[in-house]
Amino acid sequence: MTQTDATAKARRTRTVAAAVVCGLTVIVGVVLVVVLSQNVVYYRTVSEAVHDRKTQGGDRFRLAGAVVPGSRQPTRNGVNFEVTDGTNTVRVVSQGDPPELFKDSAPVLCEGRWGSGLTFDSDRILIRHGAKYTPPKVDTKHAPKATEGEAAGHAVSTVRAAEPGPERPGPQGQEREL
Amino acid sequence: MERDELLAPIVRRIVGVLTIVSLVALVLFGLWGAPTDEVQGDAQRVMYLHVPSAWLAYLAFFITASASALFLWRRTRADVWDRVAGASAELGVMFTGLALVLGSIWGRPVWGFWWAWDARLVSTALLFFLFLGYCALRRIPSSDPVGAAKRNAIAALIAFVDVPIVHFSVEWWRTLHQKATVFNPQLNPEIHGVMALTLWIGTIAFTLLYVYLLDRRYRLAVLEHGRADVELAHAIAERTGVKAGVT
Repeated sequence: MTQTDATAKARRTRTVAAAVVCGLTVIVGVVLVVVLSQNVVYYRTVSEAVHDRKTQGGDRFRLAGAVVPGSRQPTRNGVNFEVTDGTNTVRVVSQGDPPELFKDSAPVLCEGRWGSGLTFDSDRILIRHGAKYTPPKVDTKHAPKATEGEAAGHAVSTVRAAEPGPERPGPQGQEREL
Repeated sequence: MERDELLAPIVRRIVGVLTIVSLVALVLFGLWGAPTDEVQGDAQRVMYLHVPSAWLAYLAFFITASASALFLWRRTRADVWDRVAGASAELGVMFTGLALVLGSIWGRPVWGFWWAWDARLVSTALLFFLFLGYCALRRIPSSDPVGAAKRNAIAALIAFVDVPIVHFSVEWWRTLHQKATVFNPQLNPEIHGVMALTLWIGTIAFTLLYVYLLDRRYRLAVLEHGRADVELAHAIAERTGVKAGVT
């Protein structure tokens, strides 16, 4: 291989590398601008949505709140229910099957737009679960027979017995150090 | 500093055995030891793979960035850092891919959908493609190995900027993805004891797996480099008619 060959090859390599980097930069830029500009405000709370209602018009957005217990009414095409953020409550008319974890008090995101009436028309419900993890609490009603005073204590010991492995403070103390 | 192997053979063997033992412990605790989550049910068990995958992706890219910085700094410049950076980035891409796929599998039953265009998911997908691009960049042949390694190191440091963005995306923006449970701003983990223990077993298992694979991938990089030298010697021998001594 002569010196000029090597130089030409090096130049070609540099051109390819520059083209790859430029291409990637453009793709990354487009994804960031298009996707994040639409989704940085991924959802609005019920109060924000009610406040922005006039300016919002028929545009799609995601409405975040908790399902009002007892408000769910199945319809032919989906389900009607109410969502609340504690301050404001909105009636939602939803099409399609809700997800499995759609229950009373479930934190939900409803995708859709304001309807003609006072309702929010949604065609997609997402469950927004929290970041806390815990096993179910032991139901004291179904705990083995005990007098009322002992019931609570008994339930605690049932929980302990059901947990294999070290006691609670062990791993938790470890996490705080890290 | 020139190294043919990262770990001594005895250390490698111990790490390998511990990896298998901890993975078995993870399966036992993940499927049976840990209690079922109150809200999510058994679907929450995906967490014991998804979260360690994401953490190991952070760790792998952190090692890549650190090794790249050590290569760029003239006083510590050595081939070992370039190879560690490359090997760790490939593992980081693997763990990021795992976190994305497992997250998707977890999201389907819990959120109700496979994918959402929220800040956490988009920044993670971006991280995957950034380091995939870095791995591709490393494969571009060059007549100037040191120059190419410098270029790669700079690319790795640029790509690493996305790691803190991924981690803090759930605090900075509104996302469907939940906030951090363990490394939250209050540093107060909100997770039940045995669940937390299982999560740590998973993290230890994946870390051991990472160390083992990093050592193997590094060794492969050294062998690849050696093969290139042998091939060059053969090519010279063919043209000059002189039998080259292969070292």
